[in-house]
Amino acid sequence: MENINLALTLLLAGFIIVFAVLVLLIIIITIYGKIIQAVQKKSAERKQKKAEQKAQETPVKAAETVTPVEESTTTDNDGGIPDEIIAVIAAAVDAVYGGKSHKIKSVKRSRNARSAWGNAGVVENTRPF
Amino acid sequence: MDIFNQLGNVIVSLFQSSGLCSLTWENYVMMAISFVLMFLAIKKQYEPLLLLPIAFGMLLVNIFPGIMADPVHKMLTESEIIAMGLDPASYTTTVLNGVTYYNYTENGGLFYYLYQGVHLGIFPPLIFLGIGAMTDFGPLIANPKSFILGAAAQIGIFITFIGAILLGFAPNEAGSIAIIGGADGPTAIFVTSKLAPQLLGPIAVAAYSYMALVPIIQPPIMRLLTTKKERSIVMGQLRPVSKLEKILFPIIVVVLVAILLPDAAPLVGMLMLGNLFKESGVVERIAKTAQNELMNIVTIFLGVTVGATATGQLFLTPKTLGIIALGLIAFCLGSACGVLFGKIMCWATHGKVNPLIGSAGVSAVPMAARISQKVGQEENPANFLLMHAMGPNVAGVIGSAVAAGVLISVLK
Repeated sequence: MENINLALTLLLAGFIIVFAVLVLLIIIITIYGKIIQAVQKKSAERKQKKAEQKAQETPVKAAETVTPVEESTTTDNDGGIPDEIIAVIAAAVDAVYGGKSHKIKSVKRSRNARSAWGNAGVVENTRPF
Repeated sequence: MDIFNQLGNVIVSLFQSSGLCSLTWENYVMMAISFVLMFLAIKKQYEPLLLLPIAFGMLLVNIFPGIMADPVHKMLTESEIIAMGLDPASYTTTVLNGVTYYNYTENGGLFYYLYQGVHLGIFPPLIFLGIGAMTDFGPLIANPKSFILGAAAQIGIFITFIGAILLGFAPNEAGSIAIIGGADGPTAIFVTSKLAPQLLGPIAVAAYSYMALVPIIQPPIMRLLTTKKERSIVMGQLRPVSKLEKILFPIIVVVLVAILLPDAAPLVGMLMLGNLFKESGVVERIAKTAQNELMNIVTIFLGVTVGATATGQLFLTPKTLGIIALGLIAFCLGSACGVLFGKIMCWATHGKVNPLIGSAGVSAVPMAARISQKVGQEENPANFLLMHAMGPNVAGVIGSAVAAGVLISVLK
């Protein structure tokens, strides 16, 4: 009889505690999810506004930056680098420098350097814990 | 002639020390069971990562029980130590009634030492670390209501506890049996090692067997409790979850659960630490180790030593049959409660939730979620429930760890 009482107590306690903890998690996660979403939405809007303002202030400069990178690029292609690779490098440079005006004058293969795989290996083994 | 006599003596002593003389019929039955488990693991691929080491551990301990033997501490006199060819100066002494005894220790078997990771509750949290590093809690964060289904599937644990008590099991044993309903191997082992270590073998074998049999056990229950219309419900797409939300999730969960239920802290804490490794993105090497090397090493040790607890004399008892039957009931009840709560959510949301995702609330990640997807697609081939089912599925892991904390805190 004592054990049956214990079993019923455990059934109720277990049911209530497990649900209470998980419902509490639902509430907290819903709230923090909404807060984070709201904050991120606001910061995205602010960024967009800034970008729009900048575009309005300097229409001429913006037009310059929009110029396709390939067109403003005069590359020294003596190294025998294929055009596709140059296009990719130009795109990468554009991605990094974004809105700022930039110009690629030459693309040269670096010499006496480690291969990309070698570099990846060094980074993997020397990155601090 | 002396040579022949000596040869005869050597052969006789070899025969006497071999398994042929010392093994009982129970050991042979267990060896046969281990062969069946190996067949299921290799041929049918039922949870082979765990079933194979468990089966082999079971085989080894039943051929050579000494592999699991405890270390033996003896107090020997000086003459006994010298007779063994040992140097008395290497041993500490104890003086009793004026006689000096030398403290001599015989080492235990290999598995005895490996088993300490299970006995001391070290391995299950380490497995949880790896699971955390592999789990994406995104679907759960996108739809936190999934937690309800993860909680509902744990009801089977507490109902089975009553059944086990009625069958005459002691409360601590009943708690260990009931946790099988959580369908989470490491949690079942963790709870059993704390409450009833003597039942570890049968409970681990039952828990992993039912997890392997999820594709056979769950679909009939799911079909029985739902209508064709409910099974065909297509759920809306989940919202994208930002990186910041994913990083904050493990921290919030561990703070909340560990404060409210400290007994669940080792399991939930390690699960969330693993997940933080993954989501933070700054400790890629550690996350990789937790997911792969560490997880694999612990799985080997856990598997073989848990299998090695299943000696014939301990396993082949009426209790084991009771454990296997109750474990199945617990598992079925958990799945059924999950589906029933799924139906309640379906009704509450006016048909936006497919009740099939409820059965994924029993942990068994990701198998249970795959079953929800499969059964849903049988009704509507264009229905993709997998990501929706992953929410309750990972909530079930947290839910079963919380249920384990409740059992340990009440029954220990």
